[in-house]
Amino acid sequence: MTTVVLGLAVGTWLLAIGLFGSVLATALLGYECATGDQSFLRVSQAAAGVATGSFVIALLYLTSQFLSGDYTNAYVWDNTANYLPTLYKVTGVYASNAGSILLWAMLTAVVVTTTLLLGRYSTRGARLSQSLGMGVVTVFAWMLVNDSPFTPLSAEYPSVAANGIPQDGSGLNPLLVDPFMAIHPPITFSAYALMVVPFTVGVTHFVAKLRRTESMFDDWLGSMTRWLRGSWLLLTAAITLGGIWAYRVLGWGGFWSWDPVETSVLIPWLGLTAVLHTLNQYRRSGRYAVLAPAATAALLPLVIYATTVVRSGVFRSVHSFAGGGIGSGVLFLLGTTSTLAVGPAFVHWFRTAGSDAEEAGLLDRATIYHGAVLGFVLLAFVSLWGLTFPVVRSLASGVEVSVDARYYNLWSFPVVVGMLLAGGMYAQQERFSTRATVGTAAAVLVTALVVGVALARPEWQLASTEPFDPVYYRAIGSLSVVTVLPPAVYFAGAWVVRYAGRLRRLTGRQAKLNETGIALIHVGAALLIVSVSFVYVFSTTASVGIVGATELDDTGERIVRDVEGSPYTVEVTNYSPENTPTMTEAAMTPAEAGSVDPSSSVILVKGEVTAVQRFEDTTIAQLNGSRVWVGADSGTVQFEEGSVIVARGTLSDPRSENIDALVYTNGENVGPASAPPTDVYSPRVVDHRFDVQLYRGDTLVADGTVAEQSYRGRDMQTNDPLIERGITGDTYVVGTRTAGGLSIEISRYPLANQIWFGVAVMLVGMGLVFLFDPASGAAGGRRSGSRD
Amino acid sequence: MNARKTITIAFFLVVLGVGYYSMNAAPVVRDDAHTYQGGLEWETDPSTALDAAQSQDKPVLVYYWATWCTYCERYDKNHYRNETVRAALDDYVLLAVNIDDPGNGTALVRQHQATYPPQHRIMTPEGETVESVEGYIGRDELLATLKRGSEEAT
Repeated sequence: MTTVVLGLAVGTWLLAIGLFGSVLATALLGYECATGDQSFLRVSQAAAGVATGSFVIALLYLTSQFLSGDYTNAYVWDNTANYLPTLYKVTGVYASNAGSILLWAMLTAVVVTTTLLLGRYSTRGARLSQSLGMGVVTVFAWMLVNDSPFTPLSAEYPSVAANGIPQDGSGLNPLLVDPFMAIHPPITFSAYALMVVPFTVGVTHFVAKLRRTESMFDDWLGSMTRWLRGSWLLLTAAITLGGIWAYRVLGWGGFWSWDPVETSVLIPWLGLTAVLHTLNQYRRSGRYAVLAPAATAALLPLVIYATTVVRSGVFRSVHSFAGGGIGSGVLFLLGTTSTLAVGPAFVHWFRTAGSDAEEAGLLDRATIYHGAVLGFVLLAFVSLWGLTFPVVRSLASGVEVSVDARYYNLWSFPVVVGMLLAGGMYAQQERFSTRATVGTAAAVLVTALVVGVALARPEWQLASTEPFDPVYYRAIGSLSVVTVLPPAVYFAGAWVVRYAGRLRRLTGRQAKLNETGIALIHVGAALLIVSVSFVYVFSTTASVGIVGATELDDTGERIVRDVEGSPYTVEVTNYSPENTPTMTEAAMTPAEAGSVDPSSSVILVKGEVTAVQRFEDTTIAQLNGSRVWVGADSGTVQFEEGSVIVARGTLSDPRSENIDALVYTNGENVGPASAPPTDVYSPRVVDHRFDVQLYRGDTLVADGTVAEQSYRGRDMQTNDPLIERGITGDTYVVGTRTAGGLSIEISRYPLANQIWFGVAVMLVGMGLVFLFDPASGAAGGRRSGSRD
Repeated sequence: MNARKTITIAFFLVVLGVGYYSMNAAPVVRDDAHTYQGGLEWETDPSTALDAAQSQDKPVLVYYWATWCTYCERYDKNHYRNETVRAALDDYVLLAVNIDDPGNGTALVRQHQATYPPQHRIMTPEGETVESVEGYIGRDELLATLKRGSEEAT
């Protein structure tokens, strides 16, 4: 039950305590930074601890409300329902704005408070950094208090609450009912939370530079690199899980559709990857003295921008399930963090520009490395701009333009090819002369262009273009996808050769494992790039309508159809709709029915008939010997003692002191529990399952079930595709119900599993680097991480 | 000048160039009166479409779409760019309504209960609905529907 104290729900009070604690901690830490006075340190630590504790308790409390189905809480009522299994009740906690902000706030508070309580750094700069971190938490807390996930139902939905406490929730968005979606948000928000410390350290660095005091950026470099690598691991995993979810659940047959949300989460990922490269270079050579910390600080604003895109509703996307608009809080956070990240860095750069005039030739390794880093930035820009310019243009001229996959693919493709060449050259130059390297790279580029033009068959081209398309799109779009292959092979080969050379020279086990990790990341990336490009271009789709499929049952009858324009033949052998929950599951026990709110109109009840009585023209039957009875006009229903029944009816006046509830029903609304009257029952979910066999010629290539789910009260369907996985690719069958029966679409995704494999290789590689990097690995090597 | 600085300056020029070029090269989805789904010119105002239908004595094909709808992209790519479909569409006045921003089409969205994209309706010039397609269908099915619709509506 939502308990309201002094006008606020208990949960909201917890959030208010969190707000108070974080404001206090922010202010005190700011004071300590400004004055150097450490006398309030204990208080600020306590305040931060209380704030974090209250967020943790609030999240646990919200989770418990979800698990117990406490529908007095509007957020719980809105995001879950009785029929969902425990896992998806927990998923409901972060299914919408308020809950996911709470999760993010909690994780951020935990990270910031950890740095404060560990107390390894107590300089004034450290205090500023911690104050900024708690400041971010404060903004989250403020947003949560204003848009609390604990708002009582009576305040949020008075018309619903007027009918008493609802028996069931309004449900979780069906798209989120998937194990991958259950773990995707926590991983994403953990990755985001880990970026808060690098942000505060980056900002503090430039503040120190501006005040001409000592910066602790170098001292914290090692620990920050670990934070960022951890964040990279989580973010990569989160994006991949999201892709797998899109592939499996959306039934749209794609793991990546350049949806605004997918694009927006790619931006911080590209930024993060670029930052890891600059930090690596900074640590080893001192280059990027401005860019490395500035880019580090800019990651948090990028992440907040991504969240704005996901939640704002400005950009329509598949993630609009989280809709409902976003408060000014996130926009405020976006503005302040961007200003803090960019402002001091820019001023510092402006003051010192030109002093960093180290000479480097155009083909030096440093320059090539720089080119690769800029490549990441350019890729991030392409994504950022693709999200942004339609809004800009629409605001400026009222003309609505579309940004499709072609924009992203064709602008990113040459950049990726260039980066593969640059990355390959960088690795090759370690052991070969500049001359040999440039020669190899030039040969690779020429080969790429030659095969790109020579193999530009229409079905191999990067995009289908038309004569009226802009010249750039026609030029790049008409290249063959094979263009990417020579640079990718060169890139992977150069990193393997570099790895082999280093392995011979290096002695320590950790150093070797670290090098293995670096090689794996780059080889995995090459594999990923090639497989993504090939899947995009070589995927094929054909569809066929199967009239009468919904008439089939398990009698051996089948419908066979050739799929036009493809080598496939489809057989549909069975149709079986399944209700969730079943009518018997949904029916209340007499005990539940006895305590139901009397204003509920229609209820479902089940039980064993233990007594039958007749009054005037009404027959009533007692259920389970309880004080709940079922009644009907005499002669319409035959109640038999000992039979277990399910009945649907209205609560009517029992006119007897011995009866708590009388459910008045009729012949159509009652039946035995083994065969309940499903015609009058509307389940939450109907799973329409079709047994399908797919033949290519005479060979059976896929055999299984395609399903479509429809949902009561929601105008939406979800589809479970049948995916036959293989080394050469996936065969993907999805069925959509139509007025005439079933429409089946068959797609072929070559190299689909190489994508997941490429990502797995990258994750293993980064895992090794994360653990065993001699300078800043998590397993040992805990030197403070100053430049070596 | 230092090569890294040269590259950085060149980089910013490239960024500006890409930004400017791509913004202007983007296909127009909608201007004041039309949208351009699948490269076809669609009316966006139901009353304009119905007026045109009456004067030309053609039925109206209503297309409910959304920017984020991947099945709409398939319609645009596989169906509306197909010559046979385009020939069949010559018998129709085309009306496309963005369900996220229906403008003058708001009442029609409600009347047709088009709550999710993609959906199609075929209307007589008088506005009576004769065919209804919810979700995505194959090209042949669409062609059959268009044929049926033009027979029923005239």
